[in-house]
Amino acid sequence: MSSSRVPSRLSPLARLLVLTWQYRAACLKVFVLQVLLLALGLGGLSLTGLSVDVLRHALDASAPAPRWPLGLAPPAELGTTEQLYGIGALVLVMGAAYALLSYAHAIQNGRIQHLRLVPELRAQVFDKLQRLSFPFYDQNGSASIINRVTSDVQAARSFVDGVMLQGGILILTLAVYAVFMLRADVGLTLACLGATPLIWLLTRRFSAWAQDAYQRTRDLVDEMVLTMSEGIHGIQVTKVFGREREELARFDAKNQAVVLQQQDIFHKASVFTAAVHFISQLNIVVLLGYGGYLVAKGRLTLGDLIVFANLLTQFAAQIAAMARIVNTLQQSLAGARRVFDVLDAPIDIQSPDGALKLGDSGAPALSGAVRFENVAFSYPGGAAALGGVSFEVPAGSCLAILGATGAGKTTLLSLIPRFYDVSAGRVLIDGHDVRTLDLDGLRRRVGVVFQQTLLFKQTVAENIAFGHPNAARADVERAARIAGAHEFIEALPEGYDTWLAEEGMNLSGGQRQRLALARAVFVDPRIMILDDPTTALDPRTEGEVLGAMRRVMHGRTTLMVANRLSTLRFADRIIVLEHGQIIEQGTHRELMAKDGLYARTARLQGIADAAVGLEPAPGLRESWV
Amino acid sequence: MSTKPSARPPARGRKRHSEAGEIAQRPLDFSIIRRLYACTRPYVRLRTTLLVLVVLRSLQLPTIAWLTARVISGPIAAHDAYGIALGALAFLGWMGFTAYCFVYRSRLALQLGEAVVSDLRHQIYAHLLRLPMSFFKRTEVGRLLGRVIHDVDSVRIGVQDVFFVSVVQCGSMLVSAALMAYYDWPLFLVVLAMAPGLWAATRYFKRKTSVAYRERSESFARVTAALTESVNGIREIQSFAREGHNARAFAKQIDQHAQINMYSHRLGAMFQPVLSFNGQLFLALLLVLGGYQVMGGGVQLDALIQFLFLSTSFFAGIPIIGDQYNQALTAMAGAERVFRLLDTRPDWEDAPGASDFGRIQGRVELADVAFEYEPGRAVLSGISFVAEPGQAVALVGHTGSGKSTIANLIAKLYLASAGSVRIDGEDLVDKTSESLHRQIACVTQQNFLFSGTVLDNIRLGRPQASREEVLHALERLGVTDIILSLPAGLDSKVGERGVGLSLGQRQIVCFARAMLADPRVVILDEATSSVDSVTEARVQQALFRLLAGRTSFVVAHRLSTIVHADLVLVLEHGSIIERGTHAELLERGGVYAQLYREFVSAQALVA
Repeated sequence: MSSSRVPSRLSPLARLLVLTWQYRAACLKVFVLQVLLLALGLGGLSLTGLSVDVLRHALDASAPAPRWPLGLAPPAELGTTEQLYGIGALVLVMGAAYALLSYAHAIQNGRIQHLRLVPELRAQVFDKLQRLSFPFYDQNGSASIINRVTSDVQAARSFVDGVMLQGGILILTLAVYAVFMLRADVGLTLACLGATPLIWLLTRRFSAWAQDAYQRTRDLVDEMVLTMSEGIHGIQVTKVFGREREELARFDAKNQAVVLQQQDIFHKASVFTAAVHFISQLNIVVLLGYGGYLVAKGRLTLGDLIVFANLLTQFAAQIAAMARIVNTLQQSLAGARRVFDVLDAPIDIQSPDGALKLGDSGAPALSGAVRFENVAFSYPGGAAALGGVSFEVPAGSCLAILGATGAGKTTLLSLIPRFYDVSAGRVLIDGHDVRTLDLDGLRRRVGVVFQQTLLFKQTVAENIAFGHPNAARADVERAARIAGAHEFIEALPEGYDTWLAEEGMNLSGGQRQRLALARAVFVDPRIMILDDPTTALDPRTEGEVLGAMRRVMHGRTTLMVANRLSTLRFADRIIVLEHGQIIEQGTHRELMAKDGLYARTARLQGIADAAVGLEPAPGLRESWV
Repeated sequence: MSTKPSARPPARGRKRHSEAGEIAQRPLDFSIIRRLYACTRPYVRLRTTLLVLVVLRSLQLPTIAWLTARVISGPIAAHDAYGIALGALAFLGWMGFTAYCFVYRSRLALQLGEAVVSDLRHQIYAHLLRLPMSFFKRTEVGRLLGRVIHDVDSVRIGVQDVFFVSVVQCGSMLVSAALMAYYDWPLFLVVLAMAPGLWAATRYFKRKTSVAYRERSESFARVTAALTESVNGIREIQSFAREGHNARAFAKQIDQHAQINMYSHRLGAMFQPVLSFNGQLFLALLLVLGGYQVMGGGVQLDALIQFLFLSTSFFAGIPIIGDQYNQALTAMAGAERVFRLLDTRPDWEDAPGASDFGRIQGRVELADVAFEYEPGRAVLSGISFVAEPGQAVALVGHTGSGKSTIANLIAKLYLASAGSVRIDGEDLVDKTSESLHRQIACVTQQNFLFSGTVLDNIRLGRPQASREEVLHALERLGVTDIILSLPAGLDSKVGERGVGLSLGQRQIVCFARAMLADPRVVILDEATSSVDSVTEARVQQALFRLLAGRTSFVVAHRLSTIVHADLVLVLEHGSIIERGTHAELLERGGVYAQLYREFVSAQALVA
């Protein structure tokens, strides 16, 4: 079942029907089992009624004779006791059969849900998510994306078993019950079911109201929990400013808001539940009054009346199920829409047909020269982030990019491994437009280290060998040595096999960045992209990472964002970005001579950074004391 | 002053492990039950009303079944039209009364549960706020909180459902049993004989189910964790072309999760047939035994019909009580953890006779101070220095050298293990924390902002300050333009649901907060992360203005800050190894000079 086989122009409902059709054989099995269960259930009930009538007839010959179903009257010579034994045995056998079949039914149902629908849908959605391009991730929060694989898939799945299957079973059951009851007595059936639509209406109205009310409660509870956890995170601030009382009052207000909101729900919910109980019991009142009258008139046997009483209870349960199915339908449509959103989302960035595989055997080797030709880029629905950017980085040399936050540095770098595609212009590697290259091959030849490194909850070795799982330990160690990480890894409790805590929190910032460098250099890329990896480090730790950076860059084309002079000094050339455009470029010496933004920043850093050797700006010195 | 991520103990993995082993259920414990009961004391009227209603309900439920059977086997069987009408009306009336009671029984229980739970939440939070920082240092509070919120909810179920539902069900089972015993002893004995089997089966499945449920939620947590990682790590995954590998690994995990789901589904699939077969077995026995007795004249037919209805009501109670029992065990474990947290004793509190500080001049003196977070593991030792009013002290040293700890001791977030910390000659031990905190301000490295507006956050320094006073504080810092250029100026929302402020902007807000408090002593942990150069210069400028005229302690990461300090303390392994001004220390040619030379040579290529 691939997403391409489901035509995306169909409505979500139609597509859910297609989905159901794909599980038709399994659903049919459930359905058949359900029919058998229904028959057995009704059979058991009839036998109870029958036995009452048999007894009554035996005790009092004036009572109406029992009505044997399907013309199965026992031979006349059989005594009442024997008849009862027979019925008892039959009840037991049917009860056992019912138990076994209902187990089989539940298992079959579970198989469809748990073993087929959910895993298959989840695997599909996940696979697609992995391949979706960054714009999708920019537009959707991570919580929403995670929900698509978890709760939305469950919701979509519930269409198959919760709506189609349950709906089919419900209709069948109601029909059978109705026929069964109507056969016994038409008037009684109608009278007993008279109040049922009321339950249905009440349930619909209440659940419509309750959905909003519960949502409000959830929002308020979230807010309260947030206030609490925030207060704990900021406990030091609260304590130092002596604001414990104010903080507690802030929390109490949120806490009380929840209590207040709940009161309304408690009022309505308690009335609703009791009302539904009461109305469903009204059926019994009718049964006792009108049914009793019919028995008195001899138009109904006492056994039938008892059967009726039981059927009514089950009927009421089915009506409640109907309300549930309608709710499920609404939820499953909403979930399905969000699941299909993912499955249908176009993969903006993928390998073109006939992609060029650079550096593979037979193909020309990759030297790693990078060229931007008049590149422009804007985020979907956003203003231009880059415009008219042109520069060239010869193979093996290093380019540094300087600029204020939001100048477009990271954006520029992310065009090289095609995290985004240019809006205009071209990005070339060895003279080939990156959009003509095989995507996986391109990305494997471009190593990236980000400002904030994300490490995975795996062992150190697995994290380094992220680009080539199952690599030899020796290769992992070689990469770690280049990145200056070998020593501290060896010092970890289990060396390379130490498990990293979530996001590598059991490592220091400098250690994390060196692991990131090792991970990048492990795949031996031709082009290195370093997005200011030392920005979050203190000057001393920065020193450790700088050495590693220098070794990693050796012999590779490097593009890096640098805000500190300490890193800028690695660069052969520097470009200065402002509002997405290159305003200066050249070597450090040239730029200093130009006395533009670069030179000004360099001087500022004399005071702002630990870049000693430059005179602090005099204006700033005066503000001290 | 903050605990940096890098300084976090690498023992997290192990801790989580022991937490996964946290018990989910514990046996009924009378002392916990008594304490929970005490929690309902403020709502004694609610509680009493509920108890009355509960007793009423446990009489009502079986009598409904009884009345139905009574009408059928009485007037209906006797073809007595008047009796039938009377019976139906009686039934209607009784039903109405039952429903009426039910409205209040469920509403009051919900209200009681909510009231108790909100009280507990209040107590927990108030208690947490009272605990000293050492508690937050050694506890993973985030996880603790998640656990507590969960626990409080299982306590709610215990208070609002378990107790009342169990009483109602037990009561109605008793009444049903009494009625059945009244109608026919031998048949009742059959019912009684079957009950333990059903109870055993119920307990068996419920126990298995709750284990399976826990496994399932753990497995689901693993699935979500894997998902979160691949969503957050999508850059890494795509840039290393790992999509295929990850999809395969995830599919495997999904399959495992599916198997676990199927297992718990199978348990449910087995339990339902057990219940239904129990009903059918009883029916068969009833027909055979009852029929035999009726034929022998030992019993009336109406007794048989009564059994048909009453036994259903009796047996239905067993799985419900089984369910409640299970939830009671969960509530026990939850309540035990909640109470354990509430019973945590603070390591220290202000001395009983502590007096308030008057206006502080700002002379800070540490005399031979030592400190250990855990006994036997000294973090600081032999720390002595004096900061005269208005002086700036820079604390320099590697991560873990004790800089932040010194700052924490001056703020009385911790108490010195030995030696004394004095402000204006008064030992902090003899002074109240509150009066100290009113005159001291801290800017932590995390630059923590609460959700709310920028104004709210600045006002944290002095809640009663007017908007004008806040603006004045910004003016004095020279950062008015930076704050007013935010989307809604002072009223911009920040925090979880607000706009993301840049690091530089966050720092400015925290400075303003400290400025507004107009403290005599400022403690400041410089951010290690650099902001872009232009903002950086503004931050530095604001910093100097904040510190001017106040005694200040700066955990310094910027050379410029150090250069301008009146006193530089160089720390290593919890001791001061060098002290003096920047110029003096350079001249001395010690550790500080060495550090400085490293910086200089690192930058030499640029200059």
